[in-house]
Amino acid sequence: MNEVLLPPLIYGLGAISIPFLPAGKLRQALMLAVPVLAFALIGNLPYGDYAVFNAAGLHIGLLRIDALSWIFALIFSIAAFISLLYAWHVDDRVQQVTTLLYAGSAIGAVFAADLVSLFVFWEGTAIASVFLIWARRTEGSYRTGMRYLVIQVFSGVLLLAGTVLMYRDTGSVAFNAMTLGSTATWCIFIAFGVKCAFPLLHNWLQDSYPAATITGTVTLSAFTTKLAVYALARGFPGTELLIYIGAVMTLFPVFFAAIENNLRRVLAYSLNNQLGFMVVGIGIGTPLALNGTVAHAFCHILYKALLFMSMGAVMYRTGTSKASELGGLYKSMPFTMVFCIIGAMSISAFPLFSGFVSKSLILSASADNGYFFIWLALITASVGVLEHSGIKIPYFTFFAHDNGWRVKEAPVHMLLAMGIAAAFCVGIGVFPGLLYQYLPYKMEAYVPYTTTHVVTQLQLLIFAGLAFALLIRYRLYPAEIRAVNLDTDWIYRRMLPIIVGFFAAMIGTIWKAAGQLTQYYVTSLIRGIYATHGPHGPLARTWPSGSMVLWVAVILGMTVLLTYV
Amino acid sequence: MTSHDDISPDDMHWLSRKLLWVEKPGAGKRVLIVLLAICAVLALADFAYHKHAYFHIEEIPFIYAVYGFVSYATVIFLAKGLRLIIRRPEDYYAQDSTEVEDERPAGSDPSTLIPGSLSDRANRPGGISGGGSAHE
Repeated sequence: MNEVLLPPLIYGLGAISIPFLPAGKLRQALMLAVPVLAFALIGNLPYGDYAVFNAAGLHIGLLRIDALSWIFALIFSIAAFISLLYAWHVDDRVQQVTTLLYAGSAIGAVFAADLVSLFVFWEGTAIASVFLIWARRTEGSYRTGMRYLVIQVFSGVLLLAGTVLMYRDTGSVAFNAMTLGSTATWCIFIAFGVKCAFPLLHNWLQDSYPAATITGTVTLSAFTTKLAVYALARGFPGTELLIYIGAVMTLFPVFFAAIENNLRRVLAYSLNNQLGFMVVGIGIGTPLALNGTVAHAFCHILYKALLFMSMGAVMYRTGTSKASELGGLYKSMPFTMVFCIIGAMSISAFPLFSGFVSKSLILSASADNGYFFIWLALITASVGVLEHSGIKIPYFTFFAHDNGWRVKEAPVHMLLAMGIAAAFCVGIGVFPGLLYQYLPYKMEAYVPYTTTHVVTQLQLLIFAGLAFALLIRYRLYPAEIRAVNLDTDWIYRRMLPIIVGFFAAMIGTIWKAAGQLTQYYVTSLIRGIYATHGPHGPLARTWPSGSMVLWVAVILGMTVLLTYV
Repeated sequence: MTSHDDISPDDMHWLSRKLLWVEKPGAGKRVLIVLLAICAVLALADFAYHKHAYFHIEEIPFIYAVYGFVSYATVIFLAKGLRLIIRRPEDYYAQDSTEVEDERPAGSDPSTLIPGSLSDRANRPGGISGGGSAHE
């Protein structure tokens, strides 16, 4: 059963044909058809491994369809479709080709049954996606893209190193559940961790996503990090370390997001925080927790894309996504506002919205397993999510102080893309069964809408909202100021260059001093030789031949004397 | 291109018109009163059903309400403290970042386009973001 048209191949063919198609509706329609076609071809196949072959002694499997890869492929296909629809107006071949290659690589990686093909697609996502940042075509985006690429490729190289070590240790490159211990597994774990934006490895995300093009950020938000979540769920389920990493991940971005002015960067911090919930679920590793992770990734891709799309639409019309410059846009962009609020309520996990039905699984799993402090951290982080994504984003964009923007509503295709994402958010929130039936692991029927869940969640959220209202009223809420905030990227953007610069200067000085010293000695040596052997030196004098004859006679006389006396 | 004052409610979308009350004086107070009322109802709801708690601490009445309020305020005040340490001018990373590339100077008239900015290029045919119009 090897004769299957692989999804990445279809994305690849789509990408190759784009440059030859005339700009316009035909090209855009073809692009929209790619994710639909790619998923339709494999969506109904029975579970199993396809496209299996041996290459150079390695057992390669390009298409492993099981419940876990199937649902990730589904959500990646939906995300690709939505972001391509959102980018209907973009007439830039670079972005169109790379968007397809990027989505295709991500789906290819999800289906990879071995570490070698995983590595190929893993690097594929890195290389294709950087063009979505460079496509902004400014000096700043070029440099940001370079930083992004270095870190992404670093993750790929670690994965390759881990794969090679794994092959040496076990003789197999199959990509299955692993336990941390050997160097190989640690390499792979950290490779996944870089892409998943673990604490201290996270800053590429907040640095690069706001620097991409308006449509590029929407695409970026869906794939790279969720691919890492998939890889962790596949490779390291039940690894306890992940619980603590995840808990830290949910908490620390909250503080950065609260004072960040660039709203697309606020969303990037919020993305980081949401990944934390998924990582905790993987760490707990029970079927309920893993299903929670998958469900949360599914819902998260949709509402995060929705939020990025609404901020993108605002940026498309106004040229900025900074809270200090925006405000009062409810007058000009009411539909975008409604979609943004739907996204905000979904991410904040209000009952009847998608975040509620997915996050509940992870919270219940952490409580069921007795992780009290982890559960408390997640509850606290939920309040944080409400703060930066639930309230700050819509409030400072569409309400707050009217900054005088009088712009058009977002274009129809953007509204359509946002509408589809919003429909998913509400649909899944109201009918959680629609999503639960596709969750990969067997668990007891889970009911998210119990009185306790709904009431306690509403109490938590509405009282936090009350705190916001009071802080705004008494002017205690941090003002939106045009500024940048330092994060770990400062280490490699400022501190390391300074240290390297210091050592470079020091080595330069030593080199110069050593040079001068050498020059001094060489010069005095030459002077000495010159003094003796130079034109006026005693050894370079012209001697008359008479004196030589005299000296020969003297030596001869001495020899005769010594011989006979 | 229109400026701040000359948009009349009639020109707005009906959805926007419905929300115009938010700019009326006293709107903030009214929102607060409504919010307080909702909060009171939610808090009292604790006595109206049996709570299925995972942990004992959840059984304390109003605990979720208090925790939501307190943790929100804590996050904000800690973040304000954090800002004192990590805040830098917007052009701190200057050419290395996109932070100041596409933006107008702070406080300038939003209706003017910055030459070379994203929104400016969006207006040019074949520009980076296609043919959208940034301003009316």
